[in-house]
Order: sequence, then structure tokens, then C-alpha cells
Amino acid sequence: MRRMIRIRVNGEWRELSVAGNALLLNVLREDEGLTGTKYGCGIGECGACTVRIDGEPVLSCLTLAVAVDGCEVQTVEGLAVDGRLDPLQEAMLDTAAVQCGFCTPGMLMTARALLDETPAPSEQDVRDHMKGNLCRCTGYASIVRAVLEAANRDGGPEMAPKPPALGAPRRSRGAPRTP
Amino acid sequence: MSRRPMNAIGRSAWRRDGVAKVTGAETYASDVVLPRMWHARVLRSPYAHARIESIDTSGAEALGAVCLTFADVPKVKYNERIVSTPPYLYRDRYVLADKARHVGEAIAAVAAPTEALAERALRALKVEYEVLEPLVEPARAMRPGAEPIHATVRLADAEVPIEGNIAVARTIELGDVGAGFAEAAVVLEREYVTSRIYHAQMETKSVVCRPEPDGGITVWPTTQSIHNTRQLLGEIYGLPLHKVNVKRVAIGGTFGSSIQMNSVIPICVGLALKARRPVKLVTTREEDLYDHVRYQTTIGLRLGVTRDGRLTAGHMRVLADIGGHNIQAYPLLSVMAGWWASLYRLPAMKYEGRAVYTNKTPSCAMQGFGNPQVSFAVESLMDELAEALAMDPIEFKLRNYVGLGGTFWGQGPSVQSIIRSDGAPELLRVGAEKIGWSARPAAGSATGRYRRGVGMARGFHTSSAGAPKPGEVIDYTGALVKINEDGSVDVVHAMMDHGGGTLDAIAKIVAEELGVPADRVGISPVDTRTTVYDVVTHATRGVYAGGAAAQRAARRAKAILLDYATRVLGIEADALVIEPDAALGQGVIHCPAVPDKRITVGALAKLCQTNSWGSIAAVESLRPVHCPPAFVTYFVEVEVDTETGAVTTTRAAIGSDCGTVVNPDLARGQLEGGLSKGAGYALYEDARWDAESGELLSRGFWIDSKVPAMSESPPLAGLETFFATTWEPTGPFGAKGIGEAATNPCAAAYANALANALGIRFRELPITPEKILAALQAAR
Repeated sequence: MRRMIRIRVNGEWRELSVAGNALLLNVLREDEGLTGTKYGCGIGECGACTVRIDGEPVLSCLTLAVAVDGCEVQTVEGLAVDGRLDPLQEAMLDTAAVQCGFCTPGMLMTARALLDETPAPSEQDVRDHMKGNLCRCTGYASIVRAVLEAANRDGGPEMAPKPPALGAPRRSRGAPRTP
Repeated sequence: MSRRPMNAIGRSAWRRDGVAKVTGAETYASDVVLPRMWHARVLRSPYAHARIESIDTSGAEALGAVCLTFADVPKVKYNERIVSTPPYLYRDRYVLADKARHVGEAIAAVAAPTEALAERALRALKVEYEVLEPLVEPARAMRPGAEPIHATVRLADAEVPIEGNIAVARTIELGDVGAGFAEAAVVLEREYVTSRIYHAQMETKSVVCRPEPDGGITVWPTTQSIHNTRQLLGEIYGLPLHKVNVKRVAIGGTFGSSIQMNSVIPICVGLALKARRPVKLVTTREEDLYDHVRYQTTIGLRLGVTRDGRLTAGHMRVLADIGGHNIQAYPLLSVMAGWWASLYRLPAMKYEGRAVYTNKTPSCAMQGFGNPQVSFAVESLMDELAEALAMDPIEFKLRNYVGLGGTFWGQGPSVQSIIRSDGAPELLRVGAEKIGWSARPAAGSATGRYRRGVGMARGFHTSSAGAPKPGEVIDYTGALVKINEDGSVDVVHAMMDHGGGTLDAIAKIVAEELGVPADRVGISPVDTRTTVYDVVTHATRGVYAGGAAAQRAARRAKAILLDYATRVLGIEADALVIEPDAALGQGVIHCPAVPDKRITVGALAKLCQTNSWGSIAAVESLRPVHCPPAFVTYFVEVEVDTETGAVTTTRAAIGSDCGTVVNPDLARGQLEGGLSKGAGYALYEDARWDAESGELLSRGFWIDSKVPAMSESPPLAGLETFFATTWEPTGPFGAKGIGEAATNPCAAAYANALANALGIRFRELPITPEKILAALQAAR
């Protein structure tokens, strides 16, 4: 059974017909052609498929597309604005935190969410927040450096949502919002 | 070759594929989408050992799927890793199995318009098995009268019988071992057991194949070698090689698991040819877990030493569990002997290796290819011997190690060369200073709940499989370098970059040789039709061999360029130099003695084109004739919680002798990644099998293989990497390898650190909290 959903993908509203059991990962990769989001395990073990739903890092391999109807979805393709890299992307390149690159999109989305909520994280904050994203190449040290370095740099990304106040209620899911 | 100041080498810069990788634009095999493309799924054996009685595909075909079974595939027995020379290639498999030899073995495959329909079709396949006794453990497989897992295998042009499920055995004896042990004052003999860990590369094995109108195929695979994949597909499907085009796409990690042509690649080709349309096959993580693991080994090691700390003799017995197929057991047994012979000078040595078939996932190379196993045993026992002699392990090792002028076995006994650069003493000295070696506690002296200890282990990996004469292993590579009409450069090289930065290093080597800015050297997208042969990115040969071939091609292109410059400038080519000009963004050809005579590389290249003088391009191939060791030294400090058995890495100092450091930031990344994988091997990771059913105890859950996460990596402040100041005279601009060396001694360093912290020796990997608690209990 198919359903129409409306999601805002990287700033652009899309109306999509999706199967009721379609995973967000597959809708993004196959229907939207956003192949930057990676399949690593399909069962939430590795974090390679991480995208942001209304700013929160979410495993798209465990998320039904119909469940994000009305939501803002940001993928790795939505990080750079008008060809200008996000400071986090630049920091990842500056610290050589990218090797094979397969974990990179998920790492970026998880780390961006951390930095938007916690602009000056400690090293331990980074490790706690990102331990669900596996990487086999780097041993993580360069990724930790990249996140701390990005936090240090002046000026945040234009697209990043304002960090919610501590204790502020999470935005509700599912209610369509106008663009 | 001179040690002049360098412009490109040794400078960190954004990797060439970096922007693509941080923006999601990079293309991996699973990202390839083609018009009319169908999707494939593979039916895998639920039994560890079973004959296939029948396969009924009618249900799947009724759903519109195209099916592939053993009956459909060419009856060509092949070995998926054509790196060994033909006399040493043990061929024991078909595209789809004639018999199930491990849980997860590919029995049949289907293709359908969508993956969901393919999955439904897969479930409609009906297979009847005759279940055989699962021979999951080596002891059971070697028991007299056990069912042969393979009755025969193909070697060269003959079918040879397999006795007792021993796939291959190798014995090497040098010197008088009996006399050597008789001379020893101290002889220690120990048994070490290493685990069968999963590569855990982020990308599962994937492939897309498109049949071409001319009867050929185009293939986008996960692979470490596009050319070997091409040659194998040509051989299996009887296609001339000019009609087999294998494309290089980015690979999401591999660590050895794609040296061989991955089992799904020829399956996908078979489906695409039968369906007459493009087919994509992306394996699930569970399928991938059943596809490849590191070789599990049991190593018996005996070493004799004089009172003054000189090794006199050694005896090593290796039993390797290779699983259901022999991917590379013969070279494994060879290289393990070589790593051992090259660590420390042994006047007499006996090596006995056996590789046994079992009904488990086939083993293959994984970062270090037998070296982490050997280094774990040797470096553990050397530490113990030093303790028995009351010598500092560093002094004991320096007294015996194979260094400058010694003979290094880079890939078993047939690949040997003389060591011409040796940073091992420097690495030991600097590492000892960084970790505070002299202040480490006496072994077992720590008390209280949390106990710290410091351990050290050293080792190396080869740089390439180069040797003066072709032996058992192929090492051959080549490159095309061409200079464009604006002074920029294209490098056309078939080598794969697994993420370590091999292709960036190659670009820098070309830039350095030509005298152009590094950012004006591009790496061309390639396939097998547009490149000369490169064997495979393995054996830590990317920079050393691949870079050397590119350097050779660049040197010839430069000679062509200077020849034309002579025409324009009227200056002898030998008097001309090319230097990068940052403001102009290209190289400038000039003669320092005649300052007014100069022309940019781009202007000259354009003149060559407009005047029809000729292209400035060169293609060169080479076989390296040396295999220099890339030394690595690990110092680690651990803290053990004696109530939980948990081990924390508090500090690590990792030193590498990779000769000239080409990509400094990526070289550091190799060492940090090596530590992570080595720590996982030492402390956490395992892929355990049910001894009765032959299933993974993890049931296909990746988390259960306990790959280190970010929370396990040591604090940044405690992590130091450093490089020896060496120059390898046979390498491109003094460089040798780093990648596999980066992890090899790591597990031994942990075992030695735990011995220092607790006074207990652990000889079985992984050294889990459970084992630590049990040992503490027993020691009480």
C-alpha cells in the first residue's frame, strides 16, 4: 500500500508516493537519488545511514518514510550551502578524518547535531555522542579532532537550526508544516 | 635521486577525493544506478556441510525472476585471488557451490525488477540438501575418516587429492636446529591462539554488472584489483579481456577482504548475462559476516637463547583454520615463515605450517596477512625470554633483530631482499622516551583495583612483494602520465586506494618528479580498458610500487617535455629544471644560469599541440626488485580494572619507519587506525562459531563482533605517533610502506602491557575481561 508523504529534504519540500513499509534510507537513496546516505548494516548497528530529522540524528535504516511525513530531513548533501562547505566538513578534511569515506556522511550528521546542541563539547562529549557511528579506518582520533576543531572555528553554518534551550520540548513529529 | 627540498611530498593537503566524500558525492559500487537495472539476492546455505540434491526454481520464475544455479554457471574451478603465480594457485570453487561447505555459502541467486521482489523470489526457491557432518573445528576435520570437504582441488592443470582435509602444508628448515637448541641456556616453548576476526569494513560487498551489446560486460565491483577481477571474469565466462571492462569505484574499506574477487561478483555477472540487463547485487551485513574473516591460527613457538641474550634456534608450528575454501593458504603459510624469519636472527630454524579446511566462512588476508598472528606469538615470547634473562626487552630485541644489511623475507622464502634502511633502533629509543619506559613498574608489582602496565612490541610489514626474480607471488604495476595543455597533469593508474591515500601519494610523487604544483596533478577515473596492469593494492605496496611506477612514467614524460623545451629555449635539456610556481599555478621550465630563458609547462604543452610536435605522455610498468621492511614500534599503557576485567588504553606511542613520509596527516591516520584495529584484535573482537551447527554465534549481528567504537579510542592527549628519519634508497623519493605495518605488533604490545600490569601472560586472543578475571582468580 502506498501513501503520499510530504517531507522537506535539504530545504526543499517534496511530495512523494512511498510504500507503507519503505525505509527512509531507501527512499532517500533510490527515489531522491541522495546516495550520500549509506547502507552499512540495515539494523542500526553502525550509524552509516544517519540523517537528521528536525535536527535530531536518526538512523534512516530503522525509520519508515511514512513516519517522517511533514518533517525536515537533512542528509549529507544538505550540509554544504551554495557550494560552500560546512565548517565541520572543512575540519574533517583539515584533520584527515576521511579515509574510505563510507562512515563519513553518518559521522557528519551525528557530529553536526552535537555541535548545534553543544557548541563547545568536551572530548568526552564527542565520544559519548558519537559512539554509535562505527569507523574502521581512522581509529576515530582524527574524527574527534575534527569535531573539536569545528567547534573552535568562528561562525556556524547558515543552515543549522538554532540550538534549543535546555529542557525545551522536542518538536512534535508528523504534523505537516508549511514551507 | 637526491634529498633535495621537496615541494609536494611531505606536505598535508585535502585529499583529492575529500570534497566528494564529505558531500556525499563519491560513488561506491552500491551507488551505481543504471537504466533497466534489476536487483539480485543470493540464496545461502543454512547448513555448514551439505550436498545439494536439487534446486527448484519454478516458484521464483513464476514471480518473474531470473534464477541462477550451479547448473547455469560455467564449470570452471577458480581461485579468486590470482596474486600467486599459477603453480601455486589452489582452485577449489565455482561461481555457485557444487556443495555447501559453510553456512552462508552461495547456492543460488535471483534477479528481479526490485530488491523486494528478488527477496520474494529467493524465498520461493526450493533446495533439497543431504546434510553432512559439520566439520567446524580443525581437530574434527583432520580426524581420520572425516568426510572430505573437498575431495580434490585443481592445481596447475591437474586435480590433486586432499588428504585429511589438509589443504596445504609447508615445512622450511634452515641450519642445525638440534645443535642450536643444545647451545641455548634458556629454552621456552609456548602455544598461542589467535582469533578469527571479521574485517568489518563499512561497505558490504557489492557489485553492478551491465551486459554490453557486443557480448561483453562492464562491472562496478568492490575490489582491491580491477585487473585481477577482469582476468578472472574473462576466464570464468570465456570472454576476451577487451570485452571485460572493470571500473574503479571508491571502496568503503576493505582491509584485505577484497584482495580476492568477492564471491558475489561472478554471481552478479552470471545473472546479468542471463537476464540480458544490468543487475545490482548489494549484500546484507549478515551475508558479509559469512563471507570473509582473518585466518585463525594456533602457533606453537619454541625459542632458545644463550645466557648473554643471543637467539640460537627456533621452532614454529602453525595450524591455520582456513574455512571452506582455500583462498590463499599456501601463501599464508609462506609469509608466516617469512615474518618469523625476518623479526629476529635465528641461526637455525624449523617451520612447520599446516592449513586445514573446516566448514566455516573462508579465511583471507586481513591487514598484515599472517603478520599480526606471528608478531603476537614472537613478540610475546621475546618479552618472556627477556624476563627470564633479566634483560630489558628493548636491549634483548636490539641484540637479535634483523636490521640494516640483513635479509628480509617480504612475502615468504621466494621474496627476499637486503635491508637498506632501518629506523627500528630510533623507533625504540623515541618510543621508550615518550611512554616513560624506564619508569614502568616491575611486572606484577601493581596493587589495588586499578593496575597500570606498559608494554612494547615491534615489527614491520613488507613494502610490496618485490624481489630480484619472480617467485611465488606476482608484483607488477604501471602508470600513464600525461601533461595537459595548461600545464596540469593526468595520472592514469589502475591502483585502488582503500582510503589510506595511496592515490594522493602517487599524485604527489608525480608532482615532485615533474616539478609542478601538487594541486595540478589529477587522478583519472579508470577502468581496465584504459589502464596498464596493476596486480592489487595489498602487501603495503601502494606507495612503494605504485608510486615508483608513476615516478618512472613521470620521469619519461619530463624527458619528452624538456626535449621540446630545448627546441623553444635553445638550452640543452640537461641544463633545464622544472619548478613549481605558486603564482602561475604551474611548473616553469628554466635554466638557472640563463635567467631570461623560461617557459611554463602549459605554454610549452600548448605549443606542442598547436605545432603538432607530439603528445607529452609516457606509460611505464615495473616490477619492484626489493621489498623493504616498514618497521613499526608500539608502546602502550593499559589500566586494568581487576574487579571487572575491563582494560582501558590510557596512553600509546606508535612509531613508524615508512622512509620519507609522503602524506603526513594520512600516515598518522594509518597508525591511529592500526592501533584501533590492533586493540580490537587484542582485547575484544572475535567471530565465534557454533561447533555443532557451524553458524556464527552472533547470528549475523555486527555488534557482536565487537568492533571498537569511538568510546574505546584512547584520549587524544595520550596518543602519540611519530616517524623515523630514514630514507629508503630503493623507494620513490625515499618512501616505503606503512599501512599493514601499522597494526602488526599491536596485539603483542597489549599482551605485554597486561603482563606488566598483572604479572600474568595471556596467550589467547582476544584477551577479554572474562579471561582476565579468570586468570586473576587462578593467580590468587
